[in-house]
Amino acid sequence: MTTLNVDSRGTACPGPITDLIRAYKKAQNGDLIILVANDPGAVPDSKAWCERTKNEFVGSKDVENAFEITIRVTGKKS
Amino acid sequence: MKNIAIIGSGAGGLITSSKLAKDLSKEIKNGEVTITLFDKKREQEFQPGYLEVAFRGTDPSKIRRPVKKLVSTGVKMVYDNVEKVDLADRYVKTEGSSEKINYDYIIISTGSSPDYEQIDGLKQANMDFHTDAYNASLIYNRISSIKSGKIVVGIGGLPYKCPPSPNESAFMLDEYFRKRGIRDDVEIVYITPFTRIYSAESINEVIEPMYERRDIESITAFNTDTVDAEKKELTSLEGETLKYDYLFLTPPHKPAGFLKGSEMSDEDGWVKVDKKDLHITTYDNGFAIGDTTNIPISKAGVEAHLEGIVVANNIAAEITGTEQKIKFTGRTQCSMETGFHKATFVVGTYDRPVEKIEPSTMNYMEKKAMEKIYWGSLHGHYEWLFKYHFKKDYFEK
Ligand SMILES: Cc1cc2nc3c(=O)[nH]c(=O)nc-3n(C[C@H](O)[C@H](O)[C@H](O)COP(=O)(O)OP(=O)(O)OC[C@H]3O[C@@H](n4cnc5c(N)ncnc54)[C@H](O)[C@@H]3O)c2cc1C
Repeated sequence: MTTLNVDSRGTACPGPITDLIRAYKKAQNGDLIILVANDPGAVPDSKAWCERTKNEFVGSKDVENAFEITIRVTGKKS
Repeated sequence: MKNIAIIGSGAGGLITSSKLAKDLSKEIKNGEVTITLFDKKREQEFQPGYLEVAFRGTDPSKIRRPVKKLVSTGVKMVYDNVEKVDLADRYVKTEGSSEKINYDYIIISTGSSPDYEQIDGLKQANMDFHTDAYNASLIYNRISSIKSGKIVVGIGGLPYKCPPSPNESAFMLDEYFRKRGIRDDVEIVYITPFTRIYSAESINEVIEPMYERRDIESITAFNTDTVDAEKKELTSLEGETLKYDYLFLTPPHKPAGFLKGSEMSDEDGWVKVDKKDLHITTYDNGFAIGDTTNIPISKAGVEAHLEGIVVANNIAAEITGTEQKIKFTGRTQCSMETGFHKATFVVGTYDRPVEKIEPSTMNYMEKKAMEKIYWGSLHGHYEWLFKYHFKKDYFEK
């Protein structure tokens, strides 16, 4: 299992989701993607994206004027 | 003597060289400054025109100009590509040459281009309108012979240039087949890895109902993984499949080859820059602008232009000792044609989210006006107009 850290601070819509999708392309099932973003849309957008792609939205928390979003990659075909 | 090297004679490189040549004309005349522009291309194309070529049959020659007509007086053009930039020792090397060409300032504006390597099978299956005008013209030849079938368009991968362009292709195909009177026989399907038809919610609100009204089917959160040209089928990273008869996807893009693995770039080769003054992180005399940067805004000509103005101004200010430094505001302005002579714009800055702008004929006319002034704008002839149009977004003090 690998953890991919993606820093999307300072990027507004659609920045964080672009960064998330680019990291997801390189990830494998079981990997964690930790996305840090300060765009408030990043949390609902990541949640919606996880639902649609069958990946797991583990949670989000506030960190230094930003949100840290954790996603477990589970949706990729094996 | 100060030598300024600019790599890439596209939208960003040309306006930067023009503004530098104007602001430093006295120093150039006195032999105190040289400006050298590197690019092996001898003709440039107006890239937004690829849509007109692909979906309206415009002749590619209409959107091409010889580079020698675009280079401003005072700028030396070298028709070679650069294959090495050494930031620490301040020199560049052109392809196949061992000569070290020294510089004092460097601006990299080498753009982005389709990267077919990222998606297995895409090259064999796809026709795109992001490579060049010739390839775009092949799409028009193909659609002219379509009588029925399923066309899949949309975003094949990230990042790519001109975010609205895949949406525009769906709208323009809809218009094209309606005009031919066979729209009912042609299915148009738009796919995107985002959860909305347009990634920014404000624009999505505008175009989602239009897709419904125009009978353009949309499939969101589709991450294209592979394409089987024989079966005519796309497979997503999640294992979903989608059949097509004709595929005009926008491929993911890549930066110029020499940037990958270089100290100035991220792992995909995009140049890491400060998003406001565009200097390459850790090098004060090195800058990158336009599509090749890793800044988190759309890859589009307006951004390349405004960034070029900032960088040229700041270099000229340093050389002339005026220190009137300015910053890029993150202003975007991508037009999105919605068909039948209407368009909207995707407008935002680093501080303002994308606005909701309804499609109108006025917007379409503004887009058309930009086409008319494009080539002159690369010489810097329309900065008075851009200053007026962009107001406080033109730059930040
Ligand atoms: C279909 C389509 C529609 C578009 N619509 C719009 C729009 O409506 N509005 C908008 O603002 N933008 C639009 N764009 C995007 C716009 O054209 C680009 O974002 C813009 O051209 C970027 O400028 P640039 O200087 O970064 O790169 P480019 O203009 O692409 O120039 C890069 C140059 O670098 C050169 N180069 C590459 N490698 C090297 C090397 N190693 N050495 C020397 N030179 C090199 C290339 O030959 C090229 O000439 C559209 C693009 C497409 C494809």
